[in-house]
Amino acid sequence: MTAPGRDDADVTDGAGPHRASSSRRLRLVIAGVLTVAIVLLVGIALGRLSSPNPVTPGTDSVEAGFSRDMQVHHEQAVQMAMMVRDRTDDPEVRSMAYDMALTQSQQAGQMYAWLELWRVPQAPSEPTMTWMTRPTLDGDYGSHHMTGDGGASGSATPVATHEPGGRMPGLATDEQLAALDSARGVEAERLFLTLMIAHHEGGIEMADAILARSEVTQVRAFASGMVQTQQSEIDAMQAMLAERS
Amino acid sequence: MADDKPTVKQQRDARRQEKVAELKRQQARAKRNRTIGIVTASVAGAAAIALVVTFVVTSGQPRQDPQAIEIDGVKTYSDLTANHVGGSVDYAMTPPAGGDHNQIWLNCGVYTEPVPNENAVHDLEHGAVWFTYDPEQVSESEIEALRDFAPDTYAVVSPYEGLDSPMYVSAWGAQLPFANVTDDEATVSDFVTKYWKSTNAPEPGAPCTGGVDGTGKIA
Repeated sequence: MTAPGRDDADVTDGAGPHRASSSRRLRLVIAGVLTVAIVLLVGIALGRLSSPNPVTPGTDSVEAGFSRDMQVHHEQAVQMAMMVRDRTDDPEVRSMAYDMALTQSQQAGQMYAWLELWRVPQAPSEPTMTWMTRPTLDGDYGSHHMTGDGGASGSATPVATHEPGGRMPGLATDEQLAALDSARGVEAERLFLTLMIAHHEGGIEMADAILARSEVTQVRAFASGMVQTQQSEIDAMQAMLAERS
Repeated sequence: MADDKPTVKQQRDARRQEKVAELKRQQARAKRNRTIGIVTASVAGAAAIALVVTFVVTSGQPRQDPQAIEIDGVKTYSDLTANHVGGSVDYAMTPPAGGDHNQIWLNCGVYTEPVPNENAVHDLEHGAVWFTYDPEQVSESEIEALRDFAPDTYAVVSPYEGLDSPMYVSAWGAQLPFANVTDDEATVSDFVTKYWKSTNAPEPGAPCTGGVDGTGKIA
């Protein structure tokens, strides 16, 4: 009942047009502010979604899982390379082992630093290999999926099904390490080459698995490099093993 | 006069009707404008909320800096020295949680016999955690559970006689007494998350293999 009376007063007392225009100005200002806010939000959202590193990997990300597991994998390669250097005088095997130990030690440090920069714990937040059971970028789950996405390896191998908490591919067992520990000379060389070929094949499988799952630039560059160099080392080790058979 | 009066009244009526019609048109216009305003504002508001929600959802899980984890009952030690020394060292705490140590580190793993403090402390310097249990205060199944719980790398599990708690987990500059890994799983897990291979240690990631084995290494 009050509204018509007020409208009536607005018209008759001459304040109406003034009041109407001030409320229209207020509405315009609100609309302007909302428009600017929405444009900004859309811009930020688009920028974030389209950038190559959409988000910093979190503790349960495939990137963090890869960085933790691959450190463990590399640490064992360093251990075996250092062992064979103490168990043979052969300069060819010793210099290859020297190269592997320092390369993989440096790479483990890179992955360590990523986790620090992502501000996630070094300690796993979920069982080993869980990240390898996550869907790939094209929505696959990895089992019976042909990878070799790195291209450099040239050998697209069917990926075995992995389970959370499973053993990493290519890791030597305690018994195999004990055998290497007690071997000397050419026996140690053969054992080292055999174990390290399997170790590298497993490493490439894990690198392929992260290439199929991550869009993070640094991680992809790292994994692609790993696939390429470890494949060339496998070829070299196979030739060296044949010479020693 | 009798003829004029109705005419004036009629004119007045006409003007009033004109005015009423004008008022109604204005009211209708105002109402329409208000509706447009409300609809526009609602749509814009809903869009803004939707964008904020999308933004929050795509920004992933909230991260907690491992260094910010608070652990009940943890004891920390700062200003530890880290010299390589021969012979035995008198440590400020039992079991040791950092300090001077032997130049050769202990190989990480599971031991059934006590390990030398001086070699084990070198592991802590490299970022390992050391689980110790007092054989007098724990059961065989509690020891088994502890061995299963310990990380596969950068961890030592060994008996330690005369502890003031059934079990301890130690890292460089920090340690936590606890009863067993079943009852205290959350706290001990937090300790591992915060201190395993952490930058609190002077040389995290330095080797925990290729050193010296203690007696009774089973894994």
